[in-house]
Amino acid sequence: MKKVTFYIIPLFLLSILVGCAETDILDRVGLTTLVGYDVGTEERMSTTVVVREVNPEFQSNVEVITTENETSKGNRMKANRKLSKKITIGQMRVVLFGEELAKDDLHSYLDSLLENPSVSNSLYLAVVEGETSVLLEHEYKNIDDIGQHIYRLMEQNIKYEHMISSTLHEIAHDFYMVGKDSAIPIIKKEGELVELTGVAIFNDGKMVSSLSLEDSFYVKLLRDNFKSGIFETILKEEDIPPNLIKGTSNEMPVAFDAIKSKRELKLVDATTPEFDFQLKLKARLLEIYPDVESGDPKVIERLEDAMVKNLTREISRVIAHCQNVQSDIFGFGEKYRSSVRNSNLSKEKLHDMYKDMKVNIKVEFEILRDGVFE
Amino acid sequence: MKNPIQLSAKDMINSYLLIFVIHSAQVGVGIHGFQRIVYQEAKQDAWISVLLAGLATHLIAFCMIKTLEIYGSNDLYGIHQDVFGIWFGNFLNVIYILYCSVAFFSVLRNYIEVIQTWIFPGLGTWFISASLLLVTIYAFTGGLRVIVGVSFFSIVLALWILPLLLIPLKFASVDSLLPILEANIGSILKGAKSMAFTIIGFEILQIIYPFVKDKENVKKHVHLGLLFTTAVYLIIMLVSLTYYSEGKLDKTIWATLTLFSFISFPFMERFEFVAVCFWMLIILPNLCLYLWAASRGASRVIKISGTKFVWIFSILIFIGTLIVQSRTQINSINTHFGNIAFYIIFVYPIILLLVAMLKKKYSSQKEQK
Repeated sequence: MKKVTFYIIPLFLLSILVGCAETDILDRVGLTTLVGYDVGTEERMSTTVVVREVNPEFQSNVEVITTENETSKGNRMKANRKLSKKITIGQMRVVLFGEELAKDDLHSYLDSLLENPSVSNSLYLAVVEGETSVLLEHEYKNIDDIGQHIYRLMEQNIKYEHMISSTLHEIAHDFYMVGKDSAIPIIKKEGELVELTGVAIFNDGKMVSSLSLEDSFYVKLLRDNFKSGIFETILKEEDIPPNLIKGTSNEMPVAFDAIKSKRELKLVDATTPEFDFQLKLKARLLEIYPDVESGDPKVIERLEDAMVKNLTREISRVIAHCQNVQSDIFGFGEKYRSSVRNSNLSKEKLHDMYKDMKVNIKVEFEILRDGVFE
Repeated sequence: MKNPIQLSAKDMINSYLLIFVIHSAQVGVGIHGFQRIVYQEAKQDAWISVLLAGLATHLIAFCMIKTLEIYGSNDLYGIHQDVFGIWFGNFLNVIYILYCSVAFFSVLRNYIEVIQTWIFPGLGTWFISASLLLVTIYAFTGGLRVIVGVSFFSIVLALWILPLLLIPLKFASVDSLLPILEANIGSILKGAKSMAFTIIGFEILQIIYPFVKDKENVKKHVHLGLLFTTAVYLIIMLVSLTYYSEGKLDKTIWATLTLFSFISFPFMERFEFVAVCFWMLIILPNLCLYLWAASRGASRVIKISGTKFVWIFSILIFIGTLIVQSRTQINSINTHFGNIAFYIIFVYPIILLLVAMLKKKYSSQKEQK
């Protein structure tokens, strides 16, 4: 035993002395909080990085650097040459893609993000209307750290269910799923602010179209369950039952919150294919113009009917639009694959089938309550 | 029956500890990425393959215990010598020692690869290898009871990882598991076979058996240990199948670790980094038990002392980890080793049981005459 200790102690000491791994000390590294990819003008890829340099004595400063190279690692090296601190990517929270790039193909970009172990699976992805470098390089009056700002912007909107969730895991999940296509939020520079403006929809790796911000509610309704959403719509003339309101008004804006939704998708016919989509919503009436007698159960019932009509029409419209551009962001294909034995589904086969797919929408809408003042 | 092992009570262990020994010997580096390998064969029915592989371990453990019971208090090496004679028996023993060494090597090298890929790409192989070997030697010199203690703590201290698997479930979709039994039986069985590399380890039973105090309870505890392992693998497989989409699982090398990468706490951004480091505790019993098994064998084939053997062994393994550098080499070692292990662990014990039973019958007849 003594002999063993005699050998082990020097070996142990030796390993302590030489076993120091590379360190990343906070005030000597630049934390990349956001990366934006664009199509380069001369080389394949142009990246804009937002780097936060933490300074223990002064305020941290934020650098925005745009470089061009063939690969993203090459860009990182180029950006490194312009900074006094080593760039690290462990704190990266958001990755943005320029519109042009998204229309080309995102597969290789997602692959390289997934491949790198220091990239977290929970970072957010978004498509930028226009170019990312324009969005990021602008000196905003009230925004100190554009990287942190966009992250917070996306985080709160996704958390409170105003926008579909777009973490790297979820997007990659859909990209690599045969029976589903991806949908990613779109952001845009709007004067001195950054704004979420809609949803980009993809066919495999290519962005094929976009949906407006209003439609993103229906997308989320079709893809996930709401726990406490908020929603505003305009009831059109054809939705409104004749005896709901007194005056003559052909449009009726309504707003709901505390929306709980439950979705159920069923394949009823595998040859067409035909799906039954059932949606159950519960909500609180928040605003309505012109005012109705919301204490009257009959009025509420009529209003519910009007909402069902409205939702059915809008949902069908959104699905039809996605069918038009051949993007199955709702996962109908996945339902088909999991219901039909030996379907051998592929993306091509899915998109072929998807065009002629039929969906029967059945909505149930229930108004639980309104506010504290009738 | 020749050369049974005589031990004093203070060298022996209670049979309930076998639950920990068996489980900790099975769970090691394979658990990091077995999903993809099984998935490539059996698709969404991979969980059935895991279940079948688990069943097979119970069956083989049953055969092993039967063989050991014939001999009362002897290990695989002694049984070999008795059944096949000194020369051929020792030849088999050498093969078994080599098997243990390769198993040791493969666990060590795979773990180093994980560390280098996930956390410290710049850290030298030799450094991690040397420090892990030192720890292993340290535990080994403490004797079997210390090794069993390491197994015990490695499980008890790692139990908290299991509930964390609930977190990825918020992205789970049950549709990914459907339709059930779409893969044909052949692919499911192939998937089960590819589990071999992940699920082996319980063969340690054949070496540790003489050291168990209450042998009548061995059966119960071994099967409990195996059941626990199968349950853990099954849970991880189900979580992975529902969390990943088909294409993503196919491409994720260490699906279990990537599963952890979504988990973050306010005080800890990336949980998988902790998991990778913590895994050292989980592979430590693996290393210790294989080293111990090899050294037991060596001491029976050639009279070599444990200390001497452990140094020679460690130096050889150390050199080995330096030679094998790239991922492709490691992967090919894993595949070949998995295939060989399948025959050594899942086929050979049945043959051995038959031969041992024949021999017993034959020798008892001779005694009667």
